Amino acid sequence: MPRHLILALLCLLSLAGVARAAEIDSMTHADMLAAARGTEVRWHMWGGGDQINAWVDGYVADEVGRRFGIKLVRVPMDASVFVNKLLTEKAAGKGTGTMDLLWINGENFKNARQAGLLYGPFLDRMPNFKAYFDPEASRFDFGFPVEGFEAPYGRAQFVFEYDSAKIKNPPRSFAELKAWILANPGRFTYPQPPDFTGSAFVRQVFYATTGGHGQYMQGLDAGLYAANAPKTWTWLNEVAPALWRQGKTYPKDAAALDTLFARGEIDMGMSYHPAHAQMKILEKTYPDTVRTFVMQEGTISNTHFTAVPFNAPNKAGAMVVADFLMSPEAQLSKYLPANWGDLPALDMKRLPADVAAAFAAVDLGAATLPADALATAAVPEIPAQYLELLEKDWEAHVLDR
Amino acid sequence: MNRPPLPTRALLPLLAPFAGIFAAGLCLTALQSLGLFLPTASGGPTLEHYWAVLGSAAMRRSLAFTLYVSLVSALGSVSLGTALGYMVWKLPTRLRQAAVVYKVGLILPHVAVAFLVLLCFGQTGLLASLAHTLGLAPTPQDFPQILYAGDGLGMILAYMFKGTPFAMLMVLAVLFGFDTRLLQTAAMLGAGRLETFRRVTLPRLLPAMHSAFIILFLYAFGAFDIPFLLGESRPGMLSMRVYDIYFQKDLADRPQAMAILALMFAFTTLFTMVYNALARRVDDRGRKL
Amino acid sequence: MRHVATLVMLGVLFVLPVGVLLLQAGAPGWRYPDVLPPGLSWDGFAQALRNPGTMLAALGSSVAYSLATVALTVAMTLGPARFLARTSFRGKNLLEGLLLTPALVPAMTYSMGLHFAFIRLGLADSAVGVVLVLSIASYPYMLRSLTTACTHLGPDYRTCALNLGASPWQAFRQVELPLLLPALAAGGSVVFLVAFSEYFLVFLIGGGTVPSFTGYLFPVITSSNRGLGAMVTLIFLAVPVALFVTLELLLGGYFRKRGMR
Repeated sequence: MPRHLILALLCLLSLAGVARAAEIDSMTHADMLAAARGTEVRWHMWGGGDQINAWVDGYVADEVGRRFGIKLVRVPMDASVFVNKLLTEKAAGKGTGTMDLLWINGENFKNARQAGLLYGPFLDRMPNFKAYFDPEASRFDFGFPVEGFEAPYGRAQFVFEYDSAKIKNPPRSFAELKAWILANPGRFTYPQPPDFTGSAFVRQVFYATTGGHGQYMQGLDAGLYAANAPKTWTWLNEVAPALWRQGKTYPKDAAALDTLFARGEIDMGMSYHPAHAQMKILEKTYPDTVRTFVMQEGTISNTHFTAVPFNAPNKAGAMVVADFLMSPEAQLSKYLPANWGDLPALDMKRLPADVAAAFAAVDLGAATLPADALATAAVPEIPAQYLELLEKDWEAHVLDR
Repeated sequence: MNRPPLPTRALLPLLAPFAGIFAAGLCLTALQSLGLFLPTASGGPTLEHYWAVLGSAAMRRSLAFTLYVSLVSALGSVSLGTALGYMVWKLPTRLRQAAVVYKVGLILPHVAVAFLVLLCFGQTGLLASLAHTLGLAPTPQDFPQILYAGDGLGMILAYMFKGTPFAMLMVLAVLFGFDTRLLQTAAMLGAGRLETFRRVTLPRLLPAMHSAFIILFLYAFGAFDIPFLLGESRPGMLSMRVYDIYFQKDLADRPQAMAILALMFAFTTLFTMVYNALARRVDDRGRKL
Repeated sequence: MRHVATLVMLGVLFVLPVGVLLLQAGAPGWRYPDVLPPGLSWDGFAQALRNPGTMLAALGSSVAYSLATVALTVAMTLGPARFLARTSFRGKNLLEGLLLTPALVPAMTYSMGLHFAFIRLGLADSAVGVVLVLSIASYPYMLRSLTTACTHLGPDYRTCALNLGASPWQAFRQVELPLLLPALAAGGSVVFLVAFSEYFLVFLIGGGTVPSFTGYLFPVITSSNRGLGAMVTLIFLAVPVALFVTLELLLGGYFRKRGMR
């Protein structure tokens, strides 16, 4: 009977759908390569860095095209915007979205995981991760367990930038910074949280004014936060009148801050990216005399990752690209200041000798601090719950005062 | 609907999208502001989000700031546009062809105008370079803070750059169709240039000026592009508050964004009706927008 | 020499900025405190042309959805405009005012409420959704242009043609439509411009999947790369101008052939 036939066909098709979903979970890397050939991968990432954009559109797109037959499409979109988009899509029941790969970390990762917006775990099937990465190093992202739901992409460390031709002795501690700001009104500012760099600066002040990072590493302690946060607001409010525009307005994001610094409207910049200054010098946006420095209270460092949304239309392709980004070739290319200068996330000790030598030989440029100086000053990032509280309270206690 | 059924069929190609997209969108905004139809299901209709918005001092500051920026830029654009339009109209016919350059302001998108404002008026912008060369401002800090100074001047300049050609367009449309015999009659009756302008030309320009003012004021009130690029952190424009809450904050806060939008819509409608009624009284002339 | 004052003002306000853009595009290293660029170079162009794919895709997409919006608005408003011009009924003024509101009301007020519904309907992240929402935002200009023209035209030409034996379709195609072409061109130009320059609606409903030239321009504006910003802005200026000039040439030729101008 035709009707029974149709019913049987429908059953088979739905089983196929279920099977396909289960299929992706059991795919090995080789299967993924085969499935991804000839497909398109849409990578949603922060679009405010033109060097980064050029590297992704150039080197990465060319390589994944050449090696795997994948067409990479970069879509500029802030992390908080695409997490919001996924939330709305999940609530609307949209099973097939439009984003394949995401550049994500920190509180955006935490929010995405808590709402079930990410596909995974997939890290255990990535050959480059198993070969070259220390699993302990990227087990936590801002204190939140990764559990294989995101793949390490690079590392970052917070540094300050200044023009050595204009400032002979940059401040070495936050107390010295405060004195410098008050002595040089209008020449310093920071991007408005929740911009990533601005938020990081507020966290640096939080660590410096409340006695260091160790006390926060066990997770959110509301009482501790309530006791310590006011010291941060006091520091920020005391320098506010001496900031650019008297602290009445802040640059919208890190790119806006770079522009102010590049044009000489302020005397200090900051970046979550140690080779950023060198990159800008090579781009001829910064003068050659720009240098970077870190504070004696330590500098926050973190890892950033790539992840796959729950409703990604091309999960196999996304994972192939994520794995490629973890390869030594990609990490080396990313490390060159002419391309991006982002610190590699892989474990140098697991690399073959000649590859490790290639990394060591990279000239980070005069403006970047040497790796060991950065390593000694590194302190870990704060658990994400503190971060969200800090961002919200900054608005209430500093901006809206 | 109170309309007789006859016109509806002919108007269907327009009424269907109007109802299905525009009106539906407004309704959804209103419903979401009451806490319904949200991605995260939560209780019944509530006015708490409205109270949260109306009770916030920061929101009230944003509203006042938005009204200020919109008012100043709309008034400035209409005044400057009318003056320029009048001057262009007075040009001899050959030179009038050259005046078509004003349409550049109409064609440039707001994004590009924001870029021009950044290029020219920043403390390391073109005007600052000029001031430096003339010795008036040896360092960038000596140049006055035009942008991001807390008074919305950057946004006002950008809106005026777009608004002036628009006002010019509307005024010139009236002027080019003007019956010059009226002017000649006025001159024959002994009126001077100023008086002719005030009592013959201006009343006929007023409908176009009113239209331009409403359109420019309401546009500046709710637009996104220019505040996004030239806006200041505090007080922020209302549209930036909405963007911030919708895209950057928790989904649970979304009804607040919707509440602000609903209030903005109510203001827009109210303002249009009141202004039209007043303008009609002033103009002595029935007018459509 | 009042005229000099007028011309100078127009020049400073509208010609000088374009000149500044041209210079900045050709001299990316031009910065404070130089009043004039230090020297022209092709670096800016070379850098931008290194990966033209993204920019061209964005440009093509913007032109495509803007043209589609023009087509849709004509389809939406042509019939109603003709109808409104030739009939009158109680409440017509109110209705016309009501129909013009989408252009007055801030786009955020209806589009953000709509977003969730569009996602459910599968219209979000698609060009169709973008064209739909842009048409709503811009049809009032086309409606106004056509209504004014139809009212101005009056019913006589059509009545004449019908009396001479033309079918209603013939009367429309061969008499009314050519007479409405100037209004269609004017309305279409405004609708194209509105759609082409729109950022927020495309960003919201398109969700990053529908590329737009404004979306491409936005991050460039606030970056420190002034040369690229100037160049992209110039392209932004050139596209509608080129379209309008083409339209003018085509229509001018058409009207001259028919002895209408």
